[in-house]
Amino acid sequence: MEQKTISQRLDFHDMATLFSSFGFRVVLLGAIFLAIVQDSTAQAFMTRTGHAEFKSRVPFFSFTGVSDDLVGVINLADSTVDFYLDLTTLKTGIGKRDKDMRLTLETKEYPFAEFYGKIVSLFYRDSEKSQVIQVNGTFTIHGVSREITVTASLQRQGEDLYASASWKLNLNDYNIKPPRLLMVKVDEIQELGVTGRLNPVSN
Amino acid sequence: MWFLKISSRVSWVAAILICAASSVAAQIPRERANPGGPVDEVFWAPNIITMGSVANLPKGNVNLTIMHVFGIATDGIKDLFGLDDLANIRIGLDYGLSDRVSIGFARSRFDKLFDFRFKGNFLRQTKDGRVPLELAIKGDMGIRTDENGFDLQDRPNYLGAVLLARKFSDTVSLQLTPMFSHFNTVFIESVGSSEIIEEENDHFALGIGGRVVMGTRVAILFEYISVIGSRSDGTRDEMGVALNVETGGHVFQLFLKTSQWLTEQHAIARNRDQFLKGDFRFGFNVNRVFSLVSN
Repeated sequence: MEQKTISQRLDFHDMATLFSSFGFRVVLLGAIFLAIVQDSTAQAFMTRTGHAEFKSRVPFFSFTGVSDDLVGVINLADSTVDFYLDLTTLKTGIGKRDKDMRLTLETKEYPFAEFYGKIVSLFYRDSEKSQVIQVNGTFTIHGVSREITVTASLQRQGEDLYASASWKLNLNDYNIKPPRLLMVKVDEIQELGVTGRLNPVSN
Repeated sequence: MWFLKISSRVSWVAAILICAASSVAAQIPRERANPGGPVDEVFWAPNIITMGSVANLPKGNVNLTIMHVFGIATDGIKDLFGLDDLANIRIGLDYGLSDRVSIGFARSRFDKLFDFRFKGNFLRQTKDGRVPLELAIKGDMGIRTDENGFDLQDRPNYLGAVLLARKFSDTVSLQLTPMFSHFNTVFIESVGSSEIIEEENDHFALGIGGRVVMGTRVAILFEYISVIGSRSDGTRDEMGVALNVETGGHVFQLFLKTSQWLTEQHAIARNRDQFLKGDFRFGFNVNRVFSLVSN
């Protein structure tokens, strides 16, 4: 009886050791497998070189400001969309006008324009066709945040995701005083656009 | 014990997976694009008053400069504080070849002077203090085209300058400018029966200039150009103060200054007046920036 007990104890101990070692390996292998699977069908995509631009109009004249420093993440797993732009990187082609724009936007106090929201329409991730989606979220500029809905397009391009969106912004909604060029006031409605090729994020 | 071992390892793996997943779901941290980039506008225009500043044009930008200086202002109402006197006018264009190199030309009324210049910025002061100074060089070659019987080789004059500046704060900027001017032809004049005025070909000078910002678009400027070493007889140091007003694409400089000349080499070698003795003139510079590139 005593021997059996010892034997049982040994068996139990060996099994525990075996399970301990085996279990850890299974979990580790599982994690690696999951990571590989996740990488091959990436859920999150990011860019640090997205393109952002705005178009301002005054009577008989318009000008465009551009930046290629748009930073953004689109996470298909939870449908979040997160973009921001350092506003001091916007260039209109004239240094003095850039300075005016920075003064108007008060970039020392409010350096970023930001959008954080969720994709609220269907996106078929396996399709390589361009798809129109709706994104609801909060756009913040000049220290003022407002809920907006943006119509965007998303397209799988190989491993990457190509995104583009455009919408109109009323400067008055964000407490931005439209600047003047000579005696003419810049239109308070600004056309905004963003495009970017987002690469899979490796977790 | 074995169970604790497994549990500990599983917890670690789970924690790593959770962290990885949550790092994607969270908002990405906001970071400035170029925190160590150049400081904004040490000066607002390519000139302080007469003296060039370290400010240069962005690539593809054109700066049209109209400089205008009247006669001595302290002669009173009889010549409307100098406005009735012969005025010197200089109209010029500068073009930014890159964000650090510009070239330009201009034409002045006095001597019917054409001048060609360049400016190159070697160091830009950075926001993070990594580079504490602005360093630029400037060159200017003038050629007088008035009808005076001179041969071509007698007509040129030159300026070489090293521009060192620092923006100490959003309010105060200072610039030191060692300069050298050369005239191919100078004169020896007899004045009266005994006095002889002798001019020199070469002058060394040290320019000191600065800006004190008074508001978002208003600043006070000053400059003092002191001749170092030997100088032409009667040559005085140049001095000026200005109100600098920026309105969108325009920069206006309304100034009181000593010399009627509008290029540095002439202001160094040809100024005969003294600011502090009341020999100053009213004038203005208008700078307007255009772009030849489109986004």
